[in-house]
Amino acid sequence: MALSADTPIQTGIETDVALAARGDASAFERLYRTHVARIHSLTRRMLSSDEADEVTQDIFVRTWQKLSQFRGDSAFTTWLHRLAVNVVIERRRTFAIQRERMAPDPAVLDSLPVAPPRADLTVDFEHAIGQLPPGAREVFLLHDVEGYKHREIAVMLGVATGTSKRQLHRARMLMRKHLNG
Amino acid sequence: MHEEWTDKLSDYLDDELSPRERQAVESHLRGCAECAAVLDDLTRVVERAQRLDRRPPRADLWDGIAARIETRGAAPRRVSFTLPQLAAAAVVLIAASAGIAWQFADRAASRSADIARSTEAQSRASSGYEAPAEREPSAERSNIDIAHVSFADAQYDAAVSDFEKALQNGRRRLDKTTIAIVEHNLQIIDQAIEQARQALETDPANDYLSGHLVDARRRKLDLLRRAAALTIESD
Ligand SMILES: [Zn+2]
Repeated sequence: MALSADTPIQTGIETDVALAARGDASAFERLYRTHVARIHSLTRRMLSSDEADEVTQDIFVRTWQKLSQFRGDSAFTTWLHRLAVNVVIERRRTFAIQRERMAPDPAVLDSLPVAPPRADLTVDFEHAIGQLPPGAREVFLLHDVEGYKHREIAVMLGVATGTSKRQLHRARMLMRKHLNG
Repeated sequence: MHEEWTDKLSDYLDDELSPRERQAVESHLRGCAECAAVLDDLTRVVERAQRLDRRPPRADLWDGIAARIETRGAAPRRVSFTLPQLAAAAVVLIAASAGIAWQFADRAASRSADIARSTEAQSRASSGYEAPAEREPSAERSNIDIAHVSFADAQYDAAVSDFEKALQNGRRRLDKTTIAIVEHNLQIIDQAIEQARQALETDPANDYLSGHLVDARRRKLDLLRRAAALTIESD
């Protein structure tokens, strides 16, 4: 079967972007509905469930404001996602000090016992991501979940590529313990 | 565990090693079951991460966003229709929704919605009033059941041709990017329609294909309608 399910969806997105950039709020609502699950999942995992709703709203408001700057040289989804990551990282920086104070010592996390097996493995895996030390979690989400390259992550986070690689490996080694549940 | 080797395994997995390092890792892996098992685990971690599902928020966040994009001076612009344009648009919408054989969950309700929409449109038109740019019948049609599609659908074809004409007439008022997007999308949709039509000839009872065809045709009409609306947008 040669029919592609993706094509019509992408078609709708491009048209809606053009309309939304001209001030069409209904077109923008359709863009919101198409992308909200991905954006909300990103914010929920990078920050916390408590912050995810508010930050997701911030991201879409910012997107609306910046739509006229979207040049179409990348896919809209890619552009939106990059904007979302920037908002999230900005937010993390703003709250970095409080966050560090509240976060448990990474060394303690490394030595945590393996979580007991649960029926819902996906939830267990998600939960385990939330337990990663902040730096490792960030890189793991950006690289393995969201598909960014180390050099992109290095720029986003303002770290060396080598740091991004080390954090990723650290995260994966910790996540290993949650595979056999 | 050989940390000096396992520390290289993520880079190995991501193809970040030099050819020489890569070879060294590979030859170690051939002789070390323990490190090979770690690599296997890391591979599974990455696969699991890539498969994580994306869940929407529990609450609908749109209202909060809509409130903020309207109150910050970025209110959506409105498009002025002339009376004949508006009347024509209303007629076309009714023709289109009646012409395509959709079976609405509640046919009566949706018909009256269409009539209400056209009545409202006409009354705004006759008072020379501004109409909102967006009239969105497609949202209501997203959860419909499809009965069947008539290929030789004169009314649908007429609606499409009306919009094509409107688009052609107003083409100069669209920027190049918009024209390119619209034309590109029309081409894709036409291909999808043609594919579905051909596939249905060999498998006429296939509900998925019927749905796909109806959807593609709806998209085409919707795209043309919105593109035509852009051509009459006033600044
Ligand atoms: Zn080894």
